[in-house]
Amino acid sequence: MSPRRRRHTPSLTLVTSSGAASTAEVEGAGDQRNTPRTRDWSGLMVRAQDGDRHAYRALLEDMTPYLRALAARCFKASGDIEDAVQDVLLTVHAVRRTYDPGRPFGPWLVAIANRRIIDRLRRQMRDRSREIELTAEHETFSPLPTNLRFDETSADEAALHAAIERLPPDQRQAVRLLKLKEMSLKEAALASGRSVSALKVATHRAIKSLRKILQQPSEPP
Amino acid sequence: MTRTPELIDALVECATPVRRLRPPVVRAGLWLAFAGLILALLAIGHGVRPDLAQHLRQPVFAAGIASALATAILSAMAAFAISLPDRSRWWLVLPMPALALWISTITYGCFADWVSIGPDGVRLGEEVRCFVLLVLTSVPLAIALVAMLRYAALLRGGAVAMMGGLAVAAVTAAALSLFHDHDATVMILVWNLGTAALILGASGLFGRRIFRWMAARLLASEAHP
Repeated sequence: MSPRRRRHTPSLTLVTSSGAASTAEVEGAGDQRNTPRTRDWSGLMVRAQDGDRHAYRALLEDMTPYLRALAARCFKASGDIEDAVQDVLLTVHAVRRTYDPGRPFGPWLVAIANRRIIDRLRRQMRDRSREIELTAEHETFSPLPTNLRFDETSADEAALHAAIERLPPDQRQAVRLLKLKEMSLKEAALASGRSVSALKVATHRAIKSLRKILQQPSEPP
Repeated sequence: MTRTPELIDALVECATPVRRLRPPVVRAGLWLAFAGLILALLAIGHGVRPDLAQHLRQPVFAAGIASALATAILSAMAAFAISLPDRSRWWLVLPMPALALWISTITYGCFADWVSIGPDGVRLGEEVRCFVLLVLTSVPLAIALVAMLRYAALLRGGAVAMMGGLAVAAVTAAALSLFHDHDATVMILVWNLGTAALILGASGLFGRRIFRWMAARLLASEAHP
């Protein structure tokens, strides 16, 4: 945490003076460009305040890589970085009338950016304190921890199939088409040549018979 | 999730010309002029307390009013200064000496009152009139201040609300001392701290919501230009 904080400080000097040591830290904003660019930004912002949309677009597009570099110091995920950049852009938009052309643009922008980034970091910390990340132990892809006893399942399956075999032919056909092959009533009617209502009745009876068979597996139906 | 270039498009789309803010000292002066106007109106409508001239000769009373007014002026200046993103946090220290003096006169007044009036010396009718005076002074001032400092909600909401609450509280306390013949020090304290806490809480609660609302509006305008 402390190295991060220490690295925030030069960003303030970066745009107010042409210190070579501090400019080296920000990627996306080259050393020699920082000071003149800041002056440009100030001019662009003044024009944007007067309603010049081209200047405003140029300013926002110019600022974005710099803001991204600032945000990248505090966030790792690219989604978080983009969210932070967008937060800053929205804030700059909302408070753009607070910029005084007589003062340097850099500290104004960096103060807003730091404020928003710190707010987002705090929110993340709060969320993390409430949420628990899933680890490998929580995942249940392998059969053992999921409690799926395959021998039991297959035994059940065999019993069910045996029970279906013992059904009368029309009921057996209805169950096969509608339940095992998961056809719709219309499809099953087409496949079997029987009416929809006949299939419904047959399925209902089949389920009843199956329940009876499976409850007393040893007795014949 | 909106992509950043799309957001920039949306922002450029709604980039209307804006009026630059005047320097913070000028804006603080405007607010203080408004406070002066309210005090003048109250002086005309309610009338100053009958024993004001006599009280002003007492050093503690005079110091109390002077320090309250100084606290109001300095904290208003501090509030307007730190509402701008690039101003130093050291502005927060500006009203502290006046505040210390003011609190010490209040504390002194509390002890003096306790000794001279006693715990049951306060009448209910007096307190109600006192409360009305408090509301009449502080509510318009607080509303004006929130309206003038609304941009700070996105930046340093807590600190600005604290300074603003302090300014409103100091003006209200000075008004009470000038217009009310009973020194309701405890009530002033409760009310003033309550006002500051209320403004602070409101800015904490609504600052972020205003921001979200604004973001939602911007994104909606982008979707339906």
